[in-house]
Amino acid sequence: MAESLYKENKVIEDISAKFKVAGKVQRERRVWVTIDKDELIALCNFAKGLGFEHLSAISVTDWPEEGTFELTYHLWSYSKKILLTIKTKLDRADPIVDSVVSVWRENAQIHERELHELFGVEFEGNEDLTPLFLEDWDGPPPFRKDFDWRESVRQQYYDKANERERAYYD
Amino acid sequence: MVEQATKMKRLINAIWIFNWFNSCGFCELVPLVGSRWDMERFGMIITGTPRHADVLFIAGYQTLKSIKRAQVIYEQMPDPKAVIALGACTMSGGMYWDSYNTIKRLADYIPVNIYIPGCPPRPEAVFEACMKIFHHVGAVPPHGRKFAKAHRG
Repeated sequence: MAESLYKENKVIEDISAKFKVAGKVQRERRVWVTIDKDELIALCNFAKGLGFEHLSAISVTDWPEEGTFELTYHLWSYSKKILLTIKTKLDRADPIVDSVVSVWRENAQIHERELHELFGVEFEGNEDLTPLFLEDWDGPPPFRKDFDWRESVRQQYYDKANERERAYYD
Repeated sequence: MVEQATKMKRLINAIWIFNWFNSCGFCELVPLVGSRWDMERFGMIITGTPRHADVLFIAGYQTLKSIKRAQVIYEQMPDPKAVIALGACTMSGGMYWDSYNTIKRLADYIPVNIYIPGCPPRPEAVFEACMKIFHHVGAVPPHGRKFAKAHRG
């Protein structure tokens, strides 16, 4: 089994030679690396040079107990056939990170715009972070775990005094 | 009321429809388009623009963003016009009753003439609603200036 993961281990070796990362081969064709956010752009440029030219998605995970947002970049390499996952953590109180628009251009732009809208993460260097779906939204970013969406819906749409709507408060 | 219905029938000979469907909305109407229920035999045609439509079909949940577009579409339709809301989502929010981003009662935003319950509604129910448009004319507040006087009276 170890032999068959040669190309996956090679990716971690190549990255570890230049960056201080915690790398892990999850399984065949799946590689995770965790890096400090200051080195993120340098690593992304390096990974693109390695052949990870397709940014499939960016996602944010909210960890309110830890006080962090975890950013996850999913990169696919058509030549290596490997899905590289780059993870980095941000301070939840001050979620600012450099934009990867400089690396993947328009492909990254729309992902970052959405995450800015739903989690309130600031991507420095992304020029258009205007709301995508939530026009006129003035509440907190709704995908944050401390946003009580059910309570917000009650306030916004339902009336406790209304006989037919009391069920929504039980 | 009967007079109104006759008037409406004269104005609308065939029901031309404009669809404004979100999410799974169109699966509620799609059986009607096919040959099995075939709505065209009743003169019901889906138009490409709200300016040619008599009836606006709204189905699926409406988000806070899409409801604004729906209102613009409604305003573009010529009088007399009717709105038929299909499915549970338009009535109470349906399975999105606790979503922060969808509206809960369509009638708060657009004057709805008839709701068709169901998730999805049966095609027969849609046909019945279209037939009832004419009978409901007197009972619902008319929107166009042609009916404004009759409404006050």
